[in-house]
Amino acid sequence: MLALDAAAYAGPWRYRHPGEKALLAVGLLGCALLLPAWPGGALTGLTAAAVLLGPAGLPPRVLLRAVRAPLLFIGTGCLPMLVAVSGPGSVRWAPEGLATAAATAGRAGAALLCLLLFAATTPLADVLPRLHRLGVPVAVTEVAALIYRMLFLLLDSARAVRQAQAARLGYRTWAAAHRSLAGQAGAVFVRAFDRARRMEEGLALRGYTGSLAVVTEARRPSAAFVAGTVLLLAGVVLAAHLLPTATALLTDLPPVADR
Amino acid sequence: MHIAEGYLPPVQAAAWFAVSTPFVVHGARSLVHEVRANPEAKLLLGASGAFAFVLSALKIPSVTGSCSHPTGVGLGAILFRAPVMSVLGTIVLLFQALLLAHGGLSTLGANVFSMAVVGPWVAYGVYRLGRRLGGGLGVSVFFAAALADLATYCVTSAQLALAFPDPDSGFVGALAKFGSIFALTQIPLAVSEGLLTVLVIRLLTRVSPDDLRRLGILRRPAPTPGAVA
Repeated sequence: MLALDAAAYAGPWRYRHPGEKALLAVGLLGCALLLPAWPGGALTGLTAAAVLLGPAGLPPRVLLRAVRAPLLFIGTGCLPMLVAVSGPGSVRWAPEGLATAAATAGRAGAALLCLLLFAATTPLADVLPRLHRLGVPVAVTEVAALIYRMLFLLLDSARAVRQAQAARLGYRTWAAAHRSLAGQAGAVFVRAFDRARRMEEGLALRGYTGSLAVVTEARRPSAAFVAGTVLLLAGVVLAAHLLPTATALLTDLPPVADR
Repeated sequence: MHIAEGYLPPVQAAAWFAVSTPFVVHGARSLVHEVRANPEAKLLLGASGAFAFVLSALKIPSVTGSCSHPTGVGLGAILFRAPVMSVLGTIVLLFQALLLAHGGLSTLGANVFSMAVVGPWVAYGVYRLGRRLGGGLGVSVFFAAALADLATYCVTSAQLALAFPDPDSGFVGALAKFGSIFALTQIPLAVSEGLLTVLVIRLLTRVSPDDLRRLGILRRPAPTPGAVA
């Protein structure tokens, strides 16, 4: 299993209604995107991290592993903002870009934590059958559910094939690595189509008529959780607006000796 | 190259959703049509989407010595056609955001446009053009996959340049900056992905020709007069 999905299944919020978790995560994501990066983004990021590591029970190790690749993109993507190009070969340091880079990194970091808040608490299997209520055609949600059902098996196959190839020195040289990778992709392709064919035969024997509807467990959203989420979001927005005012008032105060 | 969650300003993120939507809706309509006419196609599409996800998770060695992941859009578009790939690609990008935290929900529109719209259409167009001009399967597949990868990288660089224009030279300078910083990994990756895709297609023509015929990549052999009798 993938680490985030495994965390969602093992976490204490596993049986909460996906809508409740979406309200919290998407609400915080909205705050991260729409409030000023300082202090709004920072407050949102801290709130999301506190909820993730606290009530949502995500192990810090999983969180650190999940943020590694996106943070690398954010860091690399912010570097060009620190230089300015005025013509061919004419590049200068742009100290004015530091504020844009910091704001972008802050907003993206906070938004990433909000995304993880949803991803690490809500199994995709709970989300996909409910997507048609948002207007997604049933055929598309069913194809998405089939992809989800098959991808773990195929990932396991790919991992097993890679291990076997590596044990036979299949990744020793650049050319051998390409040949091995092609073999890995080919094996996964053949297994994917074989699995589809077997499912097709199995469904035909059970009188398949074109619908793959599955029973979704009826869960009622918790009013207390929703109320808590609304209060938390209101608190973040209020704090983001009040903090600069409070800071300005404090800095405007004369030194104690002058009072 | 996925644009990370929250990296784009909200207005631009919304604009990329608006740009991608018609392509995804068109793809979804053709998928619904296909599934209605042939309910078994749903299982094949599910297998194709899962294959596309796994393909993007493979580690490909880069010329620079590092490891990267192929986009898989070239192979996907050649095997399953560009409109279908726009829907499958959108689903795969959503899965990558929610299962791996690669990409994001707010940047889904921008990522869909580069990786599920432009990449597959470039791959499909180059592949069809190559075959029509009499190019061999290997040459057409190589250019389709490599150019799809390059197109994806160019569009992502343009999206970033639009969001963060250079203080001195505006969009053009920013495009040069973002283009050159990501070129270090993306250009060797495009060549690697082109080679890999050729090897995969060659392998599949040997081990799985029936599936390729089912997908229309290989022509069905003409029945011999003796077989008809």
